[in-house]
Amino acid sequence: MTDRFIYVTYIRTTPEKLWQALTETAFTRAYWWGMFLESDWKKGSRWSMKFADGRPNTSGEVLESEPPHRLVLDWNKVSSPELTAEGPARATFEIEEAGGMVKLTVTHEAGPKLLAGVSDGWPKILASLKSFVETGEPLPFVPLQAC
Amino acid sequence: MTERFIYVTYIRTTAEKLWQALTDAEFTRAYWFGMSQECEWKPGASWKLLFEDGRVADAGEVVECDPPKRLVLKWRNEFMPELKAEGYSHCVMEIEPADGMVKLTVTHSIDREGSVFIEKVSGGWPKVLSSLKSLLETGAALPRT
Repeated sequence: MTDRFIYVTYIRTTPEKLWQALTETAFTRAYWWGMFLESDWKKGSRWSMKFADGRPNTSGEVLESEPPHRLVLDWNKVSSPELTAEGPARATFEIEEAGGMVKLTVTHEAGPKLLAGVSDGWPKILASLKSFVETGEPLPFVPLQAC
Repeated sequence: MTERFIYVTYIRTTAEKLWQALTDAEFTRAYWFGMSQECEWKPGASWKLLFEDGRVADAGEVVECDPPKRLVLKWRNEFMPELKAEGYSHCVMEIEPADGMVKLTVTHSIDREGSVFIEKVSGGWPKVLSSLKSLLETGAALPRT
């Protein structure tokens, strides 16, 4: 868990609405590259990211949860034994009010192969999230399929 | 040792409209927090990024210009002595059409270890490019901070 990917975006919304968009299953279905998230988002709870057909992509423990400002997730990419073999990974979401908009910082700490994958994935998911929150329409990415 | 900042975003627009947004002086002012650009957009042309009051913030020249796909600028900060002292950086903007959207990749690099310039642009680009995306998709740029 030595490498790190950081992505910052600014979204015209409130911290509460962004938290809701990041954590409510129905919202995540709209923009999360054809997948969705499930959890009660309490510290110590399980969370999971699933393909549209329900097969698991990633799961883990909610390590920290401070709505609507901070969420830290243990990140176990169960769909790929090669990537889980790299060891533990985690994603941290930080939401800060910034004068009529919100600054969202996603920091992913992971092994090199997983990091290469999420470095490609986060810009897609977060650009689609921003479009979804600001315009009501996500971006038209072809949904990621379970293989 | 090259220091590098890379930012990728996807915008619901066309490559031509994004090129215009990245190069048109008036358009720039709308999302670049009041800054504007002065340039003829051809290889070898001088390039300037200006504050609202006309002072030069950054300057350099066009290295490559291939509308609406690729723009490379030689880029130096002009208003903060410690950043100016780091010399010229290179900024590469690449536009790739995808289905119903475009992928924009900005890669800003400098041959200088521990560059403060790259640290500064790492904070600036997400603001500018988030505002650009909002402007193209909603018609309104983000508020200034």
